[in-house]
Amino acid sequence: MSQEDNIVLYDTSKEIKINGNFNGSIISVEREMNSIILSDNIQISDQIRISEGLMIGFEDMYNEKVAFSRKSEFIWNNLEECTLEYVVLIPKELMDQYDESQFSDSFPFTINMLHTAGLYFDDSEYNFKIDHLDFFKGEIIKNPVSLIFNGLTVADRVAIDQRGDPVFYDCIIVGRDQDDNLKVSYDPFLNVKIDDKVVKYIIIIGIEELKL
Amino acid sequence: MLLYENKKGKLLTFLKIGLNPFKKFVATGEIKENIELAESRFDLIESIKKLIENEKNIILPIIGGVGTGKTHLFWTLENKLHYHNTVYISLENVYRKFYYNIYSEYIEEIGPEVLRSITNELCNNWGKFEKKFGFFHIADIEKVKKIAFERLSSQNFEDIIALNDIINAITTHQLDPWKKVEAERWLLGELMDSRELSHINLQYDLRKSSYAYTVLKIIIENSKLKSVLFIDDFEKLISLMKPDKESEDIFEPNWLYGEITSSADKLSAEKILDKILNLQTIEGLNIIITLKSVDALEEIKTLVKERDINLLSTFKEPLFLSNFKEGDIYDFYKKNIEEFLITINYLDFLKEDPNTYYPLNEKILKNIFHKTNGNPREIIKYLIQIFNDIIYSQENLEDIISRYENLTVFQQ
Repeated sequence: MSQEDNIVLYDTSKEIKINGNFNGSIISVEREMNSIILSDNIQISDQIRISEGLMIGFEDMYNEKVAFSRKSEFIWNNLEECTLEYVVLIPKELMDQYDESQFSDSFPFTINMLHTAGLYFDDSEYNFKIDHLDFFKGEIIKNPVSLIFNGLTVADRVAIDQRGDPVFYDCIIVGRDQDDNLKVSYDPFLNVKIDDKVVKYIIIIGIEELKL
Repeated sequence: MLLYENKKGKLLTFLKIGLNPFKKFVATGEIKENIELAESRFDLIESIKKLIENEKNIILPIIGGVGTGKTHLFWTLENKLHYHNTVYISLENVYRKFYYNIYSEYIEEIGPEVLRSITNELCNNWGKFEKKFGFFHIADIEKVKKIAFERLSSQNFEDIIALNDIINAITTHQLDPWKKVEAERWLLGELMDSRELSHINLQYDLRKSSYAYTVLKIIIENSKLKSVLFIDDFEKLISLMKPDKESEDIFEPNWLYGEITSSADKLSAEKILDKILNLQTIEGLNIIITLKSVDALEEIKTLVKERDINLLSTFKEPLFLSNFKEGDIYDFYKKNIEEFLITINYLDFLKEDPNTYYPLNEKILKNIFHKTNGNPREIIKYLIQIFNDIIYSQENLEDIISRYENLTVFQQ
């Protein structure tokens, strides 16, 4: 079986676990912190190991939720302790589409954040909310990652329209269908209504984390 | 409703405005020629095409007398060699700053879009698309440069500093959004002052010979299309090497500088020959040279032999561009008239009788052919003359035609 066929490498709810060393563009979702790990490798056997992955999420700091992105090696020595919900390997064809549609870095009106920051966060459980969408109305911001409903999107850029809703461009979308099966797709743009309460968070990855 | 139209009269009126279907009798490398070569030359074109498509790094001599259409041949080849970048080089234009001028001509032929795609492809091969965390194209410029240098330095570039700077320019062009525009200007061959050069961290612009040669080699070898240099009037090199014995110098340099073994012209001609031969180290580059005689080719070969006997093997057997055959003049005339009718938006003229030679006739064309021995340039000269008579003289068309039908008029 080729790597392209195994897009779902690990899924706790469907009890999928494919052993092997995988390289490419890999998205892992960690359920304890509701965080996302982006990496170019993963080893799955009796243990799971991701070297040089980038974890993105919100963490508690001084009684507040603060967005973070952290480069690290992630190892779960036994699967019972593993907090990963699922791991998907994005097929090459989708990544090619994603690569081709990326905005040129030389486009002058795109905002690159230096540090990773939370653009939007809505946690009704803790009654905590961050909403900077109005501040960025009409702007284009590079490198957003968003947890939406029962899935996530990694996009090249997000624009905030005049109603204050985010429009993601050049997106890789991972989500579950009605049978709870994981699906991966590419969309040139994804329009989300913030009032629908489907967006859990939008994090803008700081360029500092990517360049260094 | 128009019942009858005097089409011949209408064409004559167009001509009388002062429009001559035959304007220039010398083709140049700058002005595109749309008219194809005459039928008798189709085999020659096919032979050239076959050699260019199947061989690598050859020098193909084309021999033809004055006015046989050597320069026109370039335009036909440019149209026929679809998968090649065909570049016209006149030695007079590239006499100084040889590599820089060749590079400029080459870039003019391929255009900035293709240049961008070549530099993009190069940077991809050098690891531009390495992704951080599997998703983010954050290219490590220093790493890309290092890979590029490792790969290219094995190809025996003479000037390592030039190679380093060219890698720097290409990677800056693709990967540094803040200096991309300046890097592109540099790659397009624009002249730059030291302040602009230091901004993109380069020492020289492409006027420096080793820089122009290195970038030419890299761009040609990485172009998706094969490349052909069409060097016209190649024997000009020989004339430069030989001092003009007939001319009298008022100033004799020997009086001031003592015995001079080589003139400045001879030295630079020798340098150009060396540089042309050095182009053979560019993989996949074919060179077509045009000469007026076999003797000139033999002289060139002797000079090449003196330098490196192995280079003689790159010279292919010459192909010959002969004068028109009789059938060609009729074909040539009709194609030119058709082209003229298209430009004046009066192609309807040929609807009734597509084979007409109006306002001339077959007899006149035959007379011209015999008078000129089929030399295309001489044929055009006569056609210009006849049409000028039709346009500007007070004589009736019938009188002009009957005058030129008489062969004696050509002997005056």
